[in-house]
Amino acid sequence: MRALRLLPAALLLAACQSEPPPAKPLTPEESAALKPADARIAGLYDQACKSCHTVADTGAPLTGDRTQWDKRWAKGEDALLASAVQGLNGMPAGGQCFSCTPDDYKALIRFMAGRN
Amino acid sequence: MGKVTRRALIAGGSVIGIGAIGAGGLAGRNWLRDREPAALATQDAKGHLLWSNWSGIAHSYPEKRGAPKSEEELLSILTRAPAPVRPVGSGHSFTALVPTDGTLVTLDGMAGLVSHDAAKNQATVRGGTRLADLGPALAAVGQEMINLPDINKQSIAGAIGTATHGTGRGIQAVHGSVVAMRIATPSGEIIDCDAATRPEVFNAARVGLGAFGVVTQVTLQNQPLHRILKRTEVRPTDEVLEDWPALRQKHRNVEFYVLPFTGHSAVITNDITDRPVKPRGPDADTETLMGLKQLRDWFEFAPSLRRKLAAEEMAKVPPEEMVDEGWKLLSNERPVRFNECEYHLPIEAQIPALREVIAAIEEHRKDVFFPIEVRVIAPDDAWLSPFYQRESGSIAVHAYYREDHDFFFSIVEPIFRRHGGRPHWGKLHSLKARDLAALYPRWKDAGEVRRALDPEGRMLNDYLKGIFLDG
Repeated sequence: MRALRLLPAALLLAACQSEPPPAKPLTPEESAALKPADARIAGLYDQACKSCHTVADTGAPLTGDRTQWDKRWAKGEDALLASAVQGLNGMPAGGQCFSCTPDDYKALIRFMAGRN
Repeated sequence: MGKVTRRALIAGGSVIGIGAIGAGGLAGRNWLRDREPAALATQDAKGHLLWSNWSGIAHSYPEKRGAPKSEEELLSILTRAPAPVRPVGSGHSFTALVPTDGTLVTLDGMAGLVSHDAAKNQATVRGGTRLADLGPALAAVGQEMINLPDINKQSIAGAIGTATHGTGRGIQAVHGSVVAMRIATPSGEIIDCDAATRPEVFNAARVGLGAFGVVTQVTLQNQPLHRILKRTEVRPTDEVLEDWPALRQKHRNVEFYVLPFTGHSAVITNDITDRPVKPRGPDADTETLMGLKQLRDWFEFAPSLRRKLAAEEMAKVPPEEMVDEGWKLLSNERPVRFNECEYHLPIEAQIPALREVIAAIEEHRKDVFFPIEVRVIAPDDAWLSPFYQRESGSIAVHAYYREDHDFFFSIVEPIFRRHGGRPHWGKLHSLKARDLAALYPRWKDAGEVRRALDPEGRMLNDYLKGIFLDG
């Protein structure tokens, strides 16, 4: 019985461990202060993504702002990868990264979506 | 373009518009043309990843991608990688300068400030440096570029290679500020050139379309950092056309956007000031643009109503002012993608040609809603510069990236050509080698330099073969 009573708490704990912290809006300055941990990915990010994804007027979702990213993340990584490579709305195809591989794009998307 | 908001433009018009004009038919027409273009495959049959330009009009699946970090690496690519070898700056050209099935080369790994000379206000920067990054880097050493284009996403090498420009009487395009240049060539050389050293390379390859080699670094003549007052005002177009010569004389930078089917234009001026900083507010241009689109969507077949509603609302728009350092204000974010055709005309032909363009669009293409951009550029001496030895007035027409742009070629370009215009190298046009030879006095000389630097034509894709070889 005791185990059953603890189950909801355990599930909640597990959910907390697998989910990122709650979403909160970021300012462009807070967004611009974020940097990928991997140096190579950080270089690609600085050269390509950052000039739009940290500037509110571009219409691009701000890096790290999960209030803007969560609904996009819900489409799945493959869909986001396709959008990045093919372009969508204001997003140009390839997102200005001309040496990115599909894995690079995935890493950049995960970072910008606040998933690592 | 200022705070001509969508809300203001459509206020009061929606009920009349939808009621007066078959709402269902309009909705269907608008739905059809407002669809996202069909997505291209992310990879081709050989597994090569898609590359596309910013607007989506040019694309390819390069076999190889190079991101050299040194001139030696770059030379290796230029001399040995699968051809055509095409450099890409930021992919903002609409013309097919970049597409290649061979090797795509980005200079993103060769970017940043190399050195600066405070006494001369000069700075040497690597070719892959994006203009958006160059602004703060130069500001940190007390310098700024003499002028900037409308957007600042481009690399410096791409900007000079396509004769990218801003506006202002007596102010040259970006390449006009280049006092020295280093270029890596398919012939296997690294060439340092300026007006005195290898001047034929400096003159021919400065505006080189990425066809002479890859520019790895440039030394720019800059100026001390200034604060500018940027002012945007909506005025009747007829008045602006009359006033244009005086506006050019009066302001350091001036341009205007004709808002078709409204009878109005947005005039933007920039002048050096010592006023306190009044930062740029949130972008209003995008909302204005979408307001113009909505007016078009509802009143395409009622142009007099479209003009009346727009005029009433624009008359209420107050001038807008902002003050900041030039690199923060001269360029703008353009989150709405479009395709573009821009020609540079002899200055005296600019307004007559513009009047024809406005009349032709308003007569034949009531679906157009994008503003027409009008600027002025000083002459220079680069052999393939559209501003070669003549002061130029530019006219740029745009089309929403989801909509067709055939009117560029059927209606607008013939007017530009009749008035002696030279096309912007990065923007859509239909000219070939024979046409261009007639427009550029040093065309033949430039071709000889190109052949010497790239004897096997390794940098020529199909588009550039049309520019340099065919026709």
